[in-house]
Amino acid sequence: MLAITRSGLAGTVFFLIALLALPALADGQWIKIFISTGCFVIAASGVAFMYSRLGMVSLGQVALMGVGGWVTLRMNHAFNLPFEINVAVAGAVTLVFGWLLALPALRMRGLYLALITLMAAGGLEVIFSTFRFPNGGPGFWGVMPSVAAPFRRPWIAQSDTAYLRYIMAAAFFGFVLIELHRRMAPGRAWAMIRRSEAAALASGVNVVYYKAWAFGLSGFLAGVAGGLLAGGLGLLDAATFRASESIMLFALSVVGGARFWLGAVIAGVLYRVMPALFSNWGINSDLTLVIFGAALLHAIMTAPDGLSGQILQAFGKVTRRA
Amino acid sequence: MSKAIYAGILLAGTFLAPHIALAAPSCGANTGQAATGKPIKVGGIYGAAAPGDFSAASKAAGAYFKCVNANGGIKGRPIEYLVENDQWNPELAAQAAAKLVGDQKVVALVGSGSFVEMSVNAPFYRKNNVMEMASACAVSECFESSNIVSTNQGPLPSSIGAAMYAVEKLGAKNVVCIGLAIPSVGNWSCGATEKYMQSKGLKGASVLLNPASPDVNSGLLEAVASGADSILVNLPAGLANAFLAAAKEQDLRDKYSWTSSTPLYDVSVPKALGDYWNGKVYVSAELTMLDGKGPDNQNWLAVMNAYGKSTDPRDTFSQSGYLSAKYFVETLLAMDPAKLDDRGAVTAAIKAIKGKKSDMMCGPYYVGDADRHMPNHAGIMVVIKNGGFEKVRDCFQYEGPYFAPLLATEKAMGLN
Amino acid sequence: MRPVLPYLGYALIVVAAYIFLAAGKPTLVSGLFVVSGLAVGSLYALGGIGLVVLYRATGVLNLASGAVGAVGVMLAWELQQRGWPQAISWAAALATAMALSLLYGRLIAPGLAWRDPIVKAVATLGFALIILGVTTFLWRTDVVRKFTLPTDNQAMMLLGLRVTLTRFIVVFATVSIVAGIWFYLARTRTGLQMRSLANDRDLSALIGVRILRVESIAWAIAGAIAGFTGLMFGDLLRLEPFVITFMVIPCVAAAICGRLENLGLVLVGGLTMGVVESLLTFSPTLKNIRPIAPFFIAAAVLIVMQRGHQLVFARDE
Repeated sequence: MLAITRSGLAGTVFFLIALLALPALADGQWIKIFISTGCFVIAASGVAFMYSRLGMVSLGQVALMGVGGWVTLRMNHAFNLPFEINVAVAGAVTLVFGWLLALPALRMRGLYLALITLMAAGGLEVIFSTFRFPNGGPGFWGVMPSVAAPFRRPWIAQSDTAYLRYIMAAAFFGFVLIELHRRMAPGRAWAMIRRSEAAALASGVNVVYYKAWAFGLSGFLAGVAGGLLAGGLGLLDAATFRASESIMLFALSVVGGARFWLGAVIAGVLYRVMPALFSNWGINSDLTLVIFGAALLHAIMTAPDGLSGQILQAFGKVTRRA
Repeated sequence: MSKAIYAGILLAGTFLAPHIALAAPSCGANTGQAATGKPIKVGGIYGAAAPGDFSAASKAAGAYFKCVNANGGIKGRPIEYLVENDQWNPELAAQAAAKLVGDQKVVALVGSGSFVEMSVNAPFYRKNNVMEMASACAVSECFESSNIVSTNQGPLPSSIGAAMYAVEKLGAKNVVCIGLAIPSVGNWSCGATEKYMQSKGLKGASVLLNPASPDVNSGLLEAVASGADSILVNLPAGLANAFLAAAKEQDLRDKYSWTSSTPLYDVSVPKALGDYWNGKVYVSAELTMLDGKGPDNQNWLAVMNAYGKSTDPRDTFSQSGYLSAKYFVETLLAMDPAKLDDRGAVTAAIKAIKGKKSDMMCGPYYVGDADRHMPNHAGIMVVIKNGGFEKVRDCFQYEGPYFAPLLATEKAMGLN
Repeated sequence: MRPVLPYLGYALIVVAAYIFLAAGKPTLVSGLFVVSGLAVGSLYALGGIGLVVLYRATGVLNLASGAVGAVGVMLAWELQQRGWPQAISWAAALATAMALSLLYGRLIAPGLAWRDPIVKAVATLGFALIILGVTTFLWRTDVVRKFTLPTDNQAMMLLGLRVTLTRFIVVFATVSIVAGIWFYLARTRTGLQMRSLANDRDLSALIGVRILRVESIAWAIAGAIAGFTGLMFGDLLRLEPFVITFMVIPCVAAAICGRLENLGLVLVGGLTMGVVESLLTFSPTLKNIRPIAPFFIAAAVLIVMQRGHQLVFARDE
């Protein structure tokens, strides 16, 4: 059960190299870019595993990140607790939120499940844009008109560079968490459900229970990602969590390839590094949209297994178990 | 493609025509010699992506800096103006600030304009002891922060100016303020407007529209139901346009008096609103008229003509960017040349700015060492008329409880 | 009896919303809000119907329909600014929207025909981004524009609210599209083929349905509806490409109200969403978040729909 696959090994090596190289080589701007990239990699890993393991589509992952970020900021400004506890609470709240969303939707499949998550994302967009994110103000919503109160980062990661390492470690543990699930009872149940719900039901698998588990895990990852994103800036803005962004993150997860860890990394990179590169090259933001859209279409059409499938295939590393 | 812009430029061109012969722009030391020394790095962050473009201010600041560089620069050193687009994305805004302040080590930020950049970066600027002389602020964080000072007014003073005009000249007794349902924008500015009305013993109310909502009708009906006799439109131009269109649909023009905060003071607005509103909408303007005849305003147009692109907008934000850049250059010119690369010294010099006057701005411009900065809280009123704007009230000071601490600061600085 | 139930359900929602939110208010005032809500709801319904027409025929939930409509109405505005006759500008808007829709339907959609419905939907987002980028590049966003139709100036009073002819056109067009599509599917040969295609692509191909041709017709019809919707949104909402493009999300909510197949329910569901949204203005706590109404109703509809043992979504299995 603890055997390391070749894909897992490659991932670990990649993680160690990134851990050493990125913070050392990047300057201030790029460290910030990689911090938010890392957060979205975590969120994308949740979307991708639900899609690849269960065929369930979430078009609300970025909105759920907003929930996690909101809770983290709320905790930070209300109590004097350490960062880790705030993020853990955010993960737990988002997990429950994911369940609430999922429970009535679990008997649906395909497009309809996706659409109910999209409706949730649309609703959350309205709530975020109306109430904003807590910045140290009074009351439940905690918003004040002046500059945000200080945000407490983890004590081992006060600087941006250390925080980037922290995020990368979190992303690595996120992948390990998913992999562990895959190898234990839930993973076997998910594989069965993916094949045939009827067969799974017949062999005594509690379909609703394990589907909800998957939703919860994905929600947990989104919540943690949102909390970590809040730590990157010390505050959040509603524009980050629009419903269209949730659709976009799912799209990029498909482009990256949902079956492999590399897919989630590629999704995060496409989502946050590409726009930053375009902006650095001085490409007009309207044209950025065009390039982005075209790349999205191209990748969806030409790479059904995603870019990571193509890359891993090229390296001859695709094991059947991947 | 956009004819309105071209029309605006043509309009500006015709205003200019009689002056073109003499209007050689005057910038900085005005030596006529190009600056060749080691560049001084200055940053600017603007937001431009659908659904809005706030780049006019940094374009004007850029034009002015070009003009300064062609005229002796800062003691022979040119200004290298580095601008970044935050695309309304808070993470991009933080990344831009990290790049400019952290990596490029700019001495200050000038001519910035955004909805998100200021609220994201204000703590970062404070930590790094760098000043931002912004030009197009729209949220409260921008005005209530120690290291940002903006030349434009933002929604709060601008709406209070509009409400004052409604009360004093249009006989309003009950003003309803239509704002965005965003705490740091609509709640903040319409809330202050309500307090102004209360301070005058009159009635005020707010109707807040959700920016995500396609429907402005129910907001309009809510305003009608509030029992007001005057409607103050305090929305971004596109939404304000939609709101006034809904009011036109209900034919409410003559049942209320209509005022608006600055966003409607834009060359493309009168045509978009159409004949129906001719002479009926009074708009609070933050700076002088776009065709103002004062020397600074003429110089702004001359600088834009000579150093800007013909497609750069000539609007309030552009005026504001020019003015921020001009004050910044004056400050640098007065500094010890040895300290021009010392960010702390530049920050101190900017914080020491006080009592700068211009025909473009009603009150004096100052910065000071304070937790909030809002030097521009007096303005003019214009009315939308015959496809353009006409001035109906010259400079007047805004009143109300919000400005009391500001006025106290100014008194302490010996400004008033 | 069964088919009537959902309609009753929507009626119930409206009545409940009215009782909870508007009770105690003078009928004159609440009437205003109901009519205003119907006006907004008709826009949701119109957008939703365009989505459902295409989804039924091709299995593609077209998230680009808003963007296609936006480019059409921007073009119409541009032509009018240049002094072209209005009728030609409208025709140009419809033609552009049709052409863009057809372009996607012919070039890109066939390559994705065998993928998950959700991947097909997400791919249209890529198309939407391309169109939105080009549109905002051509028509800069810092200019205020207004698109008007001659019918804006005629109006009649309805429960105290002035309702323009344009709004009646929206309602009339929505109803006629519903009727026209029903007639087309039920009575014409291509309509029949479309229905068979929607049921089973493989079998339809086997029995000789020319899939590409039938789908192209569907994309063209959907494009024309999107173009018309764009003109209406440009006139009645805002002439801003960004706003019109992302109106597609509440329109998806309206489409869900009709289970992505029943046009009549889309119409009634869209109207319900509009009325509830408008009535929420009466609630001091909820009025600032009233745009949430469409999403809330659509989510509730989805949850109610999946009750009962009949597999409503068999097509996605």
